[in-house]
Amino acid sequence: MKKTTIICAVLAALCAAGIGPAAAQDKAPIKIGTALDFTTVYTFVTAEYSQGQRDYAALVNARGGILGHPIEIDVVDTGNQPQRGIAAYERFKDEGAVLCDFLSTPVSRAVVPRALADGMNVMTLFHGRSDAADGKVFPTIFPMTPAYWSQATAIIKYIDDQEKGDLKGKKIALVMIDSPFGREPLPVFQELAKRLGYEFQSFPYPSPGNEQSAAWTQVRRFKPDWTILWGAGGGQSVSVRDAIGNGIAPDRVASVIWISETDTNIIGADQTKGLLRFEGVAYGKDVPAIKAIEEQVIAKGKGAGPAEKVGGTYYNIGAASIALVAEGARIALGKEGEPLTAAKLKNGLESIKDFTGEGLLPPVTITADDHQGGGRGRIDAWDGSKWVAKNQWAAAYQDIVWDLIHKSAEEFKASGK
Amino acid sequence: MFYRLAGIRHTSYTADRALWPVPVDRVQIAVLLLLALVAPFVLPNLYLTSYLLPWIIWSTAALGLNLLMGWAGQIHLGYAAVMAIGAYGAIHLVRAGVPFEIAIILGGFLSAAIGLVFGFAALRVKGLYLAISTLAMQYLVDWIISHVEAISGGSQATLQAPAFRVFGIPIADDRARYYVALAVCLMVTAFMLNVGRTSFGRALAAVREKDFAAAVIGVNPYRFKLLAFWCSSFLGGIAGAVLAFCYYRAVTPEQFDLDVSIQAVAMVIVGGMASVIGSFLGAALVLLAPIVLNNLVDALAHALGLSLSADVISHIPLILYGGLIIGFLLIEPLGLAKVYDNLRNYFLVWPFRHARR
Repeated sequence: MKKTTIICAVLAALCAAGIGPAAAQDKAPIKIGTALDFTTVYTFVTAEYSQGQRDYAALVNARGGILGHPIEIDVVDTGNQPQRGIAAYERFKDEGAVLCDFLSTPVSRAVVPRALADGMNVMTLFHGRSDAADGKVFPTIFPMTPAYWSQATAIIKYIDDQEKGDLKGKKIALVMIDSPFGREPLPVFQELAKRLGYEFQSFPYPSPGNEQSAAWTQVRRFKPDWTILWGAGGGQSVSVRDAIGNGIAPDRVASVIWISETDTNIIGADQTKGLLRFEGVAYGKDVPAIKAIEEQVIAKGKGAGPAEKVGGTYYNIGAASIALVAEGARIALGKEGEPLTAAKLKNGLESIKDFTGEGLLPPVTITADDHQGGGRGRIDAWDGSKWVAKNQWAAAYQDIVWDLIHKSAEEFKASGK
Repeated sequence: MFYRLAGIRHTSYTADRALWPVPVDRVQIAVLLLLALVAPFVLPNLYLTSYLLPWIIWSTAALGLNLLMGWAGQIHLGYAAVMAIGAYGAIHLVRAGVPFEIAIILGGFLSAAIGLVFGFAALRVKGLYLAISTLAMQYLVDWIISHVEAISGGSQATLQAPAFRVFGIPIADDRARYYVALAVCLMVTAFMLNVGRTSFGRALAAVREKDFAAAVIGVNPYRFKLLAFWCSSFLGGIAGAVLAFCYYRAVTPEQFDLDVSIQAVAMVIVGGMASVIGSFLGAALVLLAPIVLNNLVDALAHALGLSLSADVISHIPLILYGGLIIGFLLIEPLGLAKVYDNLRNYFLVWPFRHARR
């Protein structure tokens, strides 16, 4: 009998848990569904990113919400499995979410066809399909940040500036993971090699990148003037370590956005001094938005995670993502009134103009055509304890980027026919 | 009491060899079939599209793998690659204008042809060595798909599934897609149910138990090993195509990577070797348990007001899931199918437990 009672009690608790707590709010919450990969591949970024998202939402709510509506973020783990992402997506849709986030290229790719058919907004900051920047073909997919192609152009622009506009005869090596993600920037580097006259060669290493020595011995033979890293996760610190081991100075190595203070500290904060990377969202605590979070959220003990992560690279990216959504929702509610629907939020996001998120972002302007938001970014360098910006927010060679975006988007459109 | 055996007399060979000689079993199957048919009208869309639909497709795939692992006793660690060939093959064929019904079968043939090549390895090696050579297939196919843009579909490596028709009916909504998947699943299930009572199935069993003993009694192990690989790859290709068209609606290489192969093997082992119902139960556990556990842990943490970090909350289901699989295999090494069988045997004689069947 006792056993039955316990089982009944557990079942009752589970049922109650399923119903969930009823939040007492004045106005309906704006629901954002985030199905992230906390456990498998994207572990290097997810925890911090999600913490940043929830802290920024707490900041918005502490300030009284968006025209009275609080932001509510639902967080669930997908383990990077598309089918779990799809299950989460369908649940978010049922629960009335107006925007979803998956922070995983395989999962967001799997969800894109559904989201397009359902008119659900999906934000894909710094991941997912680069061609989703084409708002005509992908009306409800919002990268809102520089596509990988724009990151590639920004890095070359910085190198070009350092070489005083003369890249003729210079050697640039791309060391990248051998996957679609790693091969993605190749056309940009090849096209720019034609324009600027540098010698370009790519050195792929096998996924997941724990072992790259074969690629790096070839790089060493190539004797590059500049080396560009294109990877993510654990492979990145291996790349930097191998670069240093092969006598390449860190201040001549520039990486795609996915490298952070965690990686440099793993390799050695001092050895990596000078390492360059693309920065799409301002780093550090010296940003008005992050200061506000520290005062109004962290100081009151409402932070969603460890306080030492606040202001980190991926934390700030998470915060910026919610800042953009909050801005879009504010415009949508102001213009089109209540209740906020996915379609209204889409229009709101497409009306964002010169938005900087209190210092978090470069001026972002999103239009119905351009979901990339302008493609502005900058290069920063590791100084041994923090990342320091080396130039101003700017976009470079956007003509090449948009050629690629249109071409790829057209291919996508044609494939669905 | 529940499974009444009284009055069942096998008066003809046909009756004796029926799939379900006990009437209750037939009723059970009929009820399940009816439930499956009305599900789209009863179940909320969420459960239909994100639980039931992937479950029946994955069960189809698990059945195909079970033919090879359970019936023929050959391990395969590259089953996701087999599915990928079927999926990509079918999508490219439909895009080229081939009707869906034919494309999916041709996709299956393509998988079968390539799967057969790797089946030759099984003639030479066994057990762990075969596992490694099929693993090589997984890596090779992965590499080729992601490196040949003509297959993967350009730099973003995604191909959308084109709109398609089945027998002239456009398949546009979730309900229609579910019925397509269900039809394929039922056909494969019917085939698998019957494998056990054909000479083919008995030959596979003979090869599984001891291949040279099979040769001694006149079963050609070469032929049947290759046939097993051929059939299983064909079913895998079809399941892959259905997965791409009815569930993902797009294909990317990551949908068919090594993890997926391991999951498929887990479905077969946890479900039960050489068991049809085991393939369904195994697919349910491996596919749905992580999602359900995740939602439960999340809801519990909310309800109890635990302030755990999202990191911790998302790792608890993993621990539970691992424990669940170890637990099932410890309690019943023959898989979930055996658990079901034990239950059935219990009720077969209930309430007269002393009566041995």
